[in-house]
Amino acid sequence: MAGASAPLLGLAVLVAGLLAAALAAHRLAGWRTGRPAAVDWFGGLAALPRRYLHDVHAVVARDPFTARMHALAAGGLLAATLLALLGAIPALGGLKLWWALVFLAFTAMLAGSLMVARRRLPQTPRRLSRGRFSLLPFLLLAYAVGGLVVSGDAALGGVLPQVVALAALVLAAAGLLGLALQIASGPLRHALAGALYLVVHPRPARFASVRDTGLRPLDLAAPKLGAELPADFAWNRLAGFDACVQCGRCETACPAFAAGQPLNPKRLIQDLAAAASTGSNAAYAGSPYPGAPAVAGLGGPLKPVIGAGAMIHPDTLWSCTTCRACVEECPMMIEHVDAIIDLRRYQTLEQGAVPEKASAALSELRLADDAGGRSPAARADFAAGQPLPVLPFEGGETDILLWLGEGAYDLRYGRTLRALLALLTRAGVDFAILGEVEKDCGDLARRLGDEATFQRLAHENIATLARHRFRRIVTADPHAFHVLKQEYPAFGGSFEVLHHSQFLDALVTEGRLAPAALALPGGKPVAYHDPCYLGRYNGEVEAPRRLLDRLGLPRVEMERHGLRSMCCGGGGGAPVSDIPGKARIADIRMSQAVAAGAGTVAVGCPQCTAMLEGVTGERPEVLDIAELLLRAVEAAGDGQEQAA
Amino acid sequence: MKAVVLLSAGLHPVSARPAPVPVEMQAIALARTLGAAAAGLHAGPGGPGVADALGHGLARIGHLPLARGADPLEALVNHLAAHPPELVLAGRCGQGGEDSGLLPYALAARLGWPLIADAVALEMQGPGVLAVRQALERGGRRTITVRLPAVVTVHPAAPAAAAFAWGQARRGVLEVLPVPSGFAGDAVPAPELRPYRPRPRLIRGAASGGSAADRLKAATESAAADGKLMVGPSPEEAAREILAHLRKLGLVPPRQPR
Repeated sequence: MAGASAPLLGLAVLVAGLLAAALAAHRLAGWRTGRPAAVDWFGGLAALPRRYLHDVHAVVARDPFTARMHALAAGGLLAATLLALLGAIPALGGLKLWWALVFLAFTAMLAGSLMVARRRLPQTPRRLSRGRFSLLPFLLLAYAVGGLVVSGDAALGGVLPQVVALAALVLAAAGLLGLALQIASGPLRHALAGALYLVVHPRPARFASVRDTGLRPLDLAAPKLGAELPADFAWNRLAGFDACVQCGRCETACPAFAAGQPLNPKRLIQDLAAAASTGSNAAYAGSPYPGAPAVAGLGGPLKPVIGAGAMIHPDTLWSCTTCRACVEECPMMIEHVDAIIDLRRYQTLEQGAVPEKASAALSELRLADDAGGRSPAARADFAAGQPLPVLPFEGGETDILLWLGEGAYDLRYGRTLRALLALLTRAGVDFAILGEVEKDCGDLARRLGDEATFQRLAHENIATLARHRFRRIVTADPHAFHVLKQEYPAFGGSFEVLHHSQFLDALVTEGRLAPAALALPGGKPVAYHDPCYLGRYNGEVEAPRRLLDRLGLPRVEMERHGLRSMCCGGGGGAPVSDIPGKARIADIRMSQAVAAGAGTVAVGCPQCTAMLEGVTGERPEVLDIAELLLRAVEAAGDGQEQAA
Repeated sequence: MKAVVLLSAGLHPVSARPAPVPVEMQAIALARTLGAAAAGLHAGPGGPGVADALGHGLARIGHLPLARGADPLEALVNHLAAHPPELVLAGRCGQGGEDSGLLPYALAARLGWPLIADAVALEMQGPGVLAVRQALERGGRRTITVRLPAVVTVHPAAPAAAAFAWGQARRGVLEVLPVPSGFAGDAVPAPELRPYRPRPRLIRGAASGGSAADRLKAATESAAADGKLMVGPSPEEAAREILAHLRKLGLVPPRQPR
């Protein structure tokens, strides 16, 4: 007999497993309060290994220490537990080799557990939660050490005194039971809920390397619009809330959190998970919503989520810039922005409870098709004196349809658009604008939850576009770019849409524009600031950089760039909602550009331009990619004239 | 308490599309501050702009259908006399129509009710007694107490209207009320249209004659000579200066010898 206590370890696993299953079943039953959702169970199950090993790992591996920690701790735990369970079968439990295998698994788990403990020593990082999470290293270590001794003893054929072996068994069983008790509302919930959430994920396309970021259309004929109660979310969204492991990566990425606005994506998801189950968020032991007004903290599956007497203060909801940085960082693939928009939809459409300034913008959008209530006839005023072909009301034909967007009303962005027009004219591009019939694309209305106005604008714009023949749409507004490209197809409008940086990059590649090397004043390098709706939403981070490199500009990257870039604070209606914080998001972003040593920040979005130019004091110059390219092209033209 | 908010068929000033009149939506918000059971009342052609008021906090709108351009006074008087509310609220002026702002006065005169213009806040003082905070010129305010029933017009300085809620607009009831024959109102005579002629802005006390530079100097110098610039004064010093200035203007009685 190889170590008398070893098969008992298998028994302990069985007991703990049953306990965990009972607790988990109770928690999972809570998901049934959610709305039904169309779920591809077989496809999801088949895709689970890849989703876990590839997609989840890609996110976790951004922090290599944590990745190794998780692989060892979770892998070791699973392997050791499964092997120990099988060890209860006499045929296997009698083999010394088998227990040597268990010993190996526990060794890996012990290493991982020590890393779990090390991560919180000497001080727990701010982004990590305490409370039950502080207990986790002890439980893991108890199980790992106990299991290691028991299996090691069994592998050697029982060399330890009976008392020691028994004590080790008790230690292992205690640790394991403790872990099992964490499955419903403790740290280990993420393992079960997370795995299930990967199977039933509401956006399965994102695992196919598609930037599936468009918001889902809301059925405006539904009896209730948007989410008021936890039960108004689809059940697989509730699963997503439960999948949160409180790693706090979203919190460190969130621009509103950094600016001291009352939003913390981690806390938001935790509050939603608590509201959907226990109804109290008292157990939460992570960072709060910075400076949020006090709320009652009461919830339940059938109780309102938003309000001073509920779980989440409305200011939290309206602080979000919908930049998706939290979604990009989340290893559990939670869709925070979808949840926020669902909650906003209810507040806006059913309650009319939008911040006052946002309400004015929505009202103008509804009644005059522009958030500022400006006349569509004034949209092209920026181009006074420059040739700007306008399509007729019907039957127009052009190669490139230039979508101006609402940035055209802005004097600063007008300069960018003038540069773009000059470039298109120089390159001999056949282009035209819609003119007075171009309406707001609906981005602002949609992010603020006014789906009714968005859908009306979408239908009207699609009808307008259908009256003309064109090959592609080019726009200098990433928000319009995203809406036209990703969100209009759901309403019957599929177009080939390009951001102006993509189109200009192609023009330079084809040799239709010949930029000379450009020298910026001071010789300081340029840093490119990725617009969220171009980068994270649509995956385009290369074309603008390629274009800048062609200008021969020395280029630096800010610490946060590309898909993990930081928002300027201008998206999601945040400028009109205007929730106060301690700092301004744009100031934080600009300080990152300064830290990178940039003398110029290259942008490609009217919102980013306005936000970053609004930074006061001495700062790098803010120039759009089109403006930089035009300078280079004009410099080349001057050079040729001089040579001639 | 029963209140009726008069609604007009407004137009958006930029898009010229049917739109609710902002000051009437503020009237709805004021009625709600009283906890009143407020209903809307519209005498006219109706349309989406009127129905939008359902999304701004009204659960019900009564519609007296009239032809476009017909005078709504008779129909309103007839209806309100038959179903008298305690309070009638109206905007101080419509938007996109004739915009004369006269209807509430004509209505109050016909009903024999008092009219208080330009309310920014309402408060019940007792059964049937309403305190109306009235907006005056240059930010002035005064409170008037009135015995109901009364007609009150609302000033744009009143608290903001409730945001439009699409779901509420969808659920609200728009009830078509009968208009007895003879109350449909005559067509208001079409106004005469003349091109807009901007009038020159006169600067008071500006010198006439001389060059443009002279006139500008005369206009700006007189304004500049009047003030006194103090940088970082102590509070006492600043208060003394302000008091002296107000005394000079005769707004504060002269200092009494102790």
